[in-house]
Amino acid sequence: MLAQLVEASQQFERFKAAFVRKDYDTCSNLLSQLKVSLTKFRSLPPLFENTPNANNELLLAIVYFIFFMAISREIYEHAVVLSVKIEDQDAFERDFFQLKPYYTDAGNRLPPSPQEYPILGLNLLRLLVQNRIAEFHTELELLSATALEDRCIKHAVELEQSFMEGAYNRVLSARQTAPHETYVYFMDLLAKTVRDEIAGCSEKAYDYLSINDTRQMLLFSSDQELLEYIKDEHPEWEVKNGSVYFQKAKESAPCKEIPSLQLINQTLSYARELERIV
Amino acid sequence: MTQDVEMKDHQTPSHSVSSAVPSTLQHLKEIASLIETGSYTKEVRRILRAIRLTFGLRRKLTASVLSSFLDFALQPGSEPHARLSSFLPKEDEHDMEVDTATSAVQAPAKHLLPELEMYSYLLVLLFLIDQKKYNEAKACASASIIRLKSLNRRTLDVIASRLYFYYSYSYELTGDLSEIRGNLLALHRIATLHHDELGQETLLNLLLRNYLHYNLYDQAEKLRSKAPRFEAHSNQQFCRYLFYLGQIRTIQLEYTDAKESLQQAARKAPVAARGFRIQCNKWAILVRLLLGEIPERTIFMQKGMEKALRPYFELTNAVRIGDLELFRTVAEKFASTFSADKTHNLIVRLRHNVIRTGLRNISISYSRISLADVAEKLRLNSETPVADAESIVAKAIRDGAIDAILDHANGWMVSKETGDIYSTNEPQIAFHSRIAFCLNMHNDAVRALRYPPNTHKEKESAEKRRERQQQEQELAKHIAEEDDDDF
Repeated sequence: MLAQLVEASQQFERFKAAFVRKDYDTCSNLLSQLKVSLTKFRSLPPLFENTPNANNELLLAIVYFIFFMAISREIYEHAVVLSVKIEDQDAFERDFFQLKPYYTDAGNRLPPSPQEYPILGLNLLRLLVQNRIAEFHTELELLSATALEDRCIKHAVELEQSFMEGAYNRVLSARQTAPHETYVYFMDLLAKTVRDEIAGCSEKAYDYLSINDTRQMLLFSSDQELLEYIKDEHPEWEVKNGSVYFQKAKESAPCKEIPSLQLINQTLSYARELERIV
Repeated sequence: MTQDVEMKDHQTPSHSVSSAVPSTLQHLKEIASLIETGSYTKEVRRILRAIRLTFGLRRKLTASVLSSFLDFALQPGSEPHARLSSFLPKEDEHDMEVDTATSAVQAPAKHLLPELEMYSYLLVLLFLIDQKKYNEAKACASASIIRLKSLNRRTLDVIASRLYFYYSYSYELTGDLSEIRGNLLALHRIATLHHDELGQETLLNLLLRNYLHYNLYDQAEKLRSKAPRFEAHSNQQFCRYLFYLGQIRTIQLEYTDAKESLQQAARKAPVAARGFRIQCNKWAILVRLLLGEIPERTIFMQKGMEKALRPYFELTNAVRIGDLELFRTVAEKFASTFSADKTHNLIVRLRHNVIRTGLRNISISYSRISLADVAEKLRLNSETPVADAESIVAKAIRDGAIDAILDHANGWMVSKETGDIYSTNEPQIAFHSRIAFCLNMHNDAVRALRYPPNTHKEKESAEKRRERQQQEQELAKHIAEEDDDDF
């Protein structure tokens, strides 16, 4: 047991060295080895098998256990950050769920980690980017009042609010105030989502916009990029006389047809129900 | 979180009233015999009635009554008797003498029914909780649960479900709910395997309550969506289930469904359960606000709820006017109430609705207004109010909250004329939803009618007899006709 632990911590040291060197390929390799070795320790979360507790174990065993739990927590924290660096959202989700029990279920046995709030905030941001708003709020409910005051988490919460309101420029300016370097990756992803949202809103809200304004609004640096975007994403927009016309998108909106099939269905169901009563 | 449906009266044992003691004891003995017959004839209904009667007696329970009842129901000296008696506080000599005298006459040695044993556990547990002896209550409840796990009788289900409830309740009172989660899950599994539907219902609610107590909405929803569902057995449990369901759905932004379950919970709850109904109303109000509806004033004026719903009333007012500044002050003023109700995060979500209502008011009152004025009227606190206002209005237009057009070059918003609503399908939809509601109500009422157990069968056999007689007659006629033909 102890030998395995020593081996794992040595591996972790190597991992950290590679991490500092930004050698992310080596990191991923070492990390998968580390994760395999961590599965051998069944007393760790989430299994918690035969965890030493204050009553029946030596003090030394407890200290050793806590120390070890702290190390494994650090390993998963690094794993989460690494997944952001290599821009792998699925890996992020997996690693985050492995890390979560260390914060929630083992939280009272361990000293709090300085990485906890940044990582929780990062996860909130990920849910926002993936437009999983229901999960975003479910996660939010788990946070305490002090956690909500934290800079990193507040950042994510405010982003969600601006996003819901439609204050998109506030979302974009939040990129500059990102509280942590790892946030930038998700903020860039968010910028793309925001662009699509703005495009969707504009075509409903405006009759036409000048190309210049459209470019600014959709955050393109050149007209060329804008025209390509329109060609790829919104072929129904019309570009003429130096303006973008959104008319076509709106024409399909008014529909004066009588929904006959639905009406027939409803009337038949009334008749059936009435027959049952009388 | 929620106050429970049952009433909590903490009384002091009344030693002096000598006449009350025997009568309570007498009642308890009657209940015990009711349970006994119920157990022998396997009629759950009788046991249900026994439990109902017990809650009427609850406030009259005293240590002396209980110990004499234990002597009566359980054999003195037997193992359950010894265990249960140890939970009761020692009484003074006088009462003991009287009690042993009565019980000695009436307690012939008999086979101990598990129903009676578990019933005694329930009585002791009730008494301990009323006396605020929570640690003893916890010990007693745990002991009863261990005993319950080894029993498998359908007649026990009613008593068992009450025991589960008080088991969880006693742990909640001491704040150790998370300890028993594993145990509750195991019990739920056992109840499912035993087809004990009442137990499943109760335990599912307890588990949901357990999860929601720690804000574990994800786990709660996973359990809820996978647990077997069936027609509700107990109205109280069904109300609770609806309330928890409403909470989960609110958190997960399914407001329409949430509103339905919360309102149903509030409507179905018994009048006496005021705390529960207040909670339901609080959540229902918030959900309706989040949906963009404004709850009627009568909701806040319900009897006995005005004070509790006051913060929500002021909040509603702020949303109705669409004033961000007022909304902020109300949210700050009642911050402690809202965080105690665990509705703080929902109120943060409401900000967006305040803006929407404000915007709608502006769009109705002006046919054309500059975006700078919109920003000022909405009191958006930001560095770039015009750009903010523009994108907010754009989103509102896209979401269909207002009907308007933006003019970027001039920087103003032009509202479209409000069309004639009778030219749309809107009235038809409203008509349909009302008819559907009435028809559903009728169907539910028919389904809720109760018939005494065997009438259906008898009626059918009477009908059959008539049919048979008719057939015989026809046959006879037929034969007679044939006879005629022959000749």
